[in-house]
Amino acid sequence: MKNFIKSIIFILVFIFLFLNVFDVLWLDDNNISLFYKEKKNTADIVYVGSSNAYVSFNSTLAFHKYGFATLFQSTDAMPFILTKYLIKEAERYQKPSLYIIDIAKVADGKEEYDYSNIRRTVDNIRFSKNKMDALKEIFEWKNVPKEEYVNFYFSHLLYHNRWKDLTVKSFEPNPELYKGYLYVDWTSQINPQEKYVWQDEERDMGKENEKILRDLIKYIKDNNLQVLFVLTPRVYSEEVNQKINFAISIIEDSGLEVMNFAKDEDLKIDPETDYYNFAHLNVYGSTKFTLYFSKYLAETYKFRNHKEDADYKSWHEEYERFKASFKKESNKDFEEVLKEYEEDY
Amino acid sequence: MSLTSLVFVLFCIITFFLYFIVPKKIQWLILLIASLIFLFYDNFSVFTVLQLLIVILSSYFFGRLVDKYRDTKRGKVFLALGIIIILGLLIYLKYTNLFLTTFNHFLMLFGNSYRFELVHRTSLIGISYWSLIMISYLIDVHRGAIKSEKNILKLSLFMSYFPILTSGPFIRYDDFKDQVDRGEKKKFSYDALCSGLVRILWGLFKILVISQRLGYFVDHVYGHMVVLEGMYIFLAACFFVLQLYTNFSGSIDIIMGVSEILGIKLPENFKAPFFSTTITEFWRNWHITLGAWLKDYIFYPLLKSNFMQSLNKKCKNIFGKKIGKKIPLYLSMLIMWTLIGIWHGGAYTYIIGSGLLQFIFIFLEDVLEPVSNKINKKLGINTDTFSYRLYQRIRTFLLFSFSMIFFRANSVYEALRIIKHMFVWNPYILFDNTSLYYAKLDMFDFRILIVSLVALFVVESLSRSYNVREKLFKQNIVFRWGIIYALIFAIIIFGCYGVGYDAASFIYRQF
Repeated sequence: MKNFIKSIIFILVFIFLFLNVFDVLWLDDNNISLFYKEKKNTADIVYVGSSNAYVSFNSTLAFHKYGFATLFQSTDAMPFILTKYLIKEAERYQKPSLYIIDIAKVADGKEEYDYSNIRRTVDNIRFSKNKMDALKEIFEWKNVPKEEYVNFYFSHLLYHNRWKDLTVKSFEPNPELYKGYLYVDWTSQINPQEKYVWQDEERDMGKENEKILRDLIKYIKDNNLQVLFVLTPRVYSEEVNQKINFAISIIEDSGLEVMNFAKDEDLKIDPETDYYNFAHLNVYGSTKFTLYFSKYLAETYKFRNHKEDADYKSWHEEYERFKASFKKESNKDFEEVLKEYEEDY
Repeated sequence: MSLTSLVFVLFCIITFFLYFIVPKKIQWLILLIASLIFLFYDNFSVFTVLQLLIVILSSYFFGRLVDKYRDTKRGKVFLALGIIIILGLLIYLKYTNLFLTTFNHFLMLFGNSYRFELVHRTSLIGISYWSLIMISYLIDVHRGAIKSEKNILKLSLFMSYFPILTSGPFIRYDDFKDQVDRGEKKKFSYDALCSGLVRILWGLFKILVISQRLGYFVDHVYGHMVVLEGMYIFLAACFFVLQLYTNFSGSIDIIMGVSEILGIKLPENFKAPFFSTTITEFWRNWHITLGAWLKDYIFYPLLKSNFMQSLNKKCKNIFGKKIGKKIPLYLSMLIMWTLIGIWHGGAYTYIIGSGLLQFIFIFLEDVLEPVSNKINKKLGINTDTFSYRLYQRIRTFLLFSFSMIFFRANSVYEALRIIKHMFVWNPYILFDNTSLYYAKLDMFDFRILIVSLVALFVVESLSRSYNVREKLFKQNIVFRWGIIYALIFAIIIFGCYGVGYDAASFIYRQF
């Protein structure tokens, strides 16, 4: 019995050490891993999508303005096929009253994604049946060779190699994200050839992408989820524009709502000042987008205002941290910028 | 089934579980089933099953016949037949290409343009081990040292006991039967489990942290010999010996640990060989059971053979007693070392690297020993000092490293080319802080290697005086667990395993 207890203690200590060691060796925090660190059932909205989502929508600003909490289930170049599984994950931990699904990547084929795009997302999903299902679908979708499955199930087979890349920063929480929002100060003017005007023509986005979208819609309907599809503002190519139109038609035909901010002129995104690059808004663009979109969300969905709620104290803190960071980087007072923009939105 | 794979871990857990829950009567049967699964895991075909059947059936039936007709002419014939069949199969599977290459060389020598095509034959894992093990079984039966096994399945277990299939050690039938078949039921032992697991961890550390890492450097240098020469090749030659040792002894540690948990003690195969001061001593501490096997079944019988005895007499008459008695000894050694070379692989590189060169070194050590003693005496060199022993150890290591250039090379010609490229003077690569890192390993890898090799040599040094694991388990829990956790995490973090792509590219990018 004594030996048995000793063995159990040894294993428990090992697990504790293992989890802590790999917490450092693992990928830096992203919006998938940070999602689990939030208090359960405190999110009003979960915003699912690729980097467009968390670069465009400043969740701390939206909270500051209207008191609703938005969390992200988004990573860089996240394959659209994982949307369903991230919603399922959100259902397990948050049960928000609204899901916003960014469709910027809805028409991208599997050849556009490498393993790193996939693993940045799936490796951060906690071990569960949902994760296993997601992996199963990914294996099929990407034709992952069977001998490589084990590397997805035991992610440390990959990350143990990261010890050479560790820096002091690896031991700290990711300071770049403010409740998931990533703030970029840099402005790059969009070239004239990149100034693209949205067209209404459609083009087939491929059987596989269509099936993925229809599966997602079916899941949403089967589970009676309140969902708003959005296309965040950025520059799209003609081909992608037309394929997205095809997707928009499918969504609208199914009775779900889509908001296309890529062609919304009232948003007043200025290509000269509001882009970080052609695919992402900078802090000025995201402020405009957040003010515009959050107003719509607050008015339409009537979320409870949590500003005075003690459980949401961290939201105020993160907004203050964001403002301080903005001040440091741009030497400007964010409240001043906000005041200027608020006149228009 | 690789010893460092997750499949092997799973395989062992299931085997341990079944082995300890079944009654004593069928414990051996669990081991046999596990061994057959291990044997055929990567290689199941009619051809490989046939290989096993040929060896097991001939060992069993000729063993019984040799036992029955022991001390008769008929017994000797059955013994010879058994050995011929087993050896014949081994030669057919492993040495056909050696013969074909030799024929091709002869054809080339005589201007004939015809060439025999080399063949690829799939042999079962561990065939070089279990063929010799079964030959020794037949010889032991013939000598009357053991009784022949009546149960063919139990004999099959002796032959195919899974821990020894990948890298030995050579086991003796009597020792094995004593532990598996006789005595009480093997009960699960917590102490054996802990001790076995620590040994397995040590083996994994040697393979994954040291051997694999050294392998990157060695493979890269040998693959880019025109660019990387001089000190690179010198380092690669030394690293290869360390790679070979840590891989081989690491595998042995793993299988010894597994067998220890099963309650079956296997003979040690290594005893801190790099602390040897001569090549003779080195081979007493390196692949010990192979040396012992060859001495018992080749060297001594050869030395005692009628031919050698008469040669001994003739040489004594011609060269005098002192020199005369050495000639049959050296001749027997030459034959034995050639066989060791052949056993290591069916190519001349093995015969030269692990056979003939070793014989030459041992021969020279023996012949030059009086000269060396005289020189030391004249120069007043104190040989009973640490510094002298250190010099001897380094000399032994370098000689062995040199011979292993042949062992590692793809052909004798390539080995000679490597040696030629080694004699380029560029020691600056050790000091300029960049050149060394051209060969696959970066600064971090070298740091890990230095720390790991120091740890290895400290443990090896301590193991010469006492059982390190026993000593560890007598320590207080904090220290004991600290060491074990350090070992586990060194393997998990610094081990060279897992996916081929670089984790750095997976570091979270925002977009």
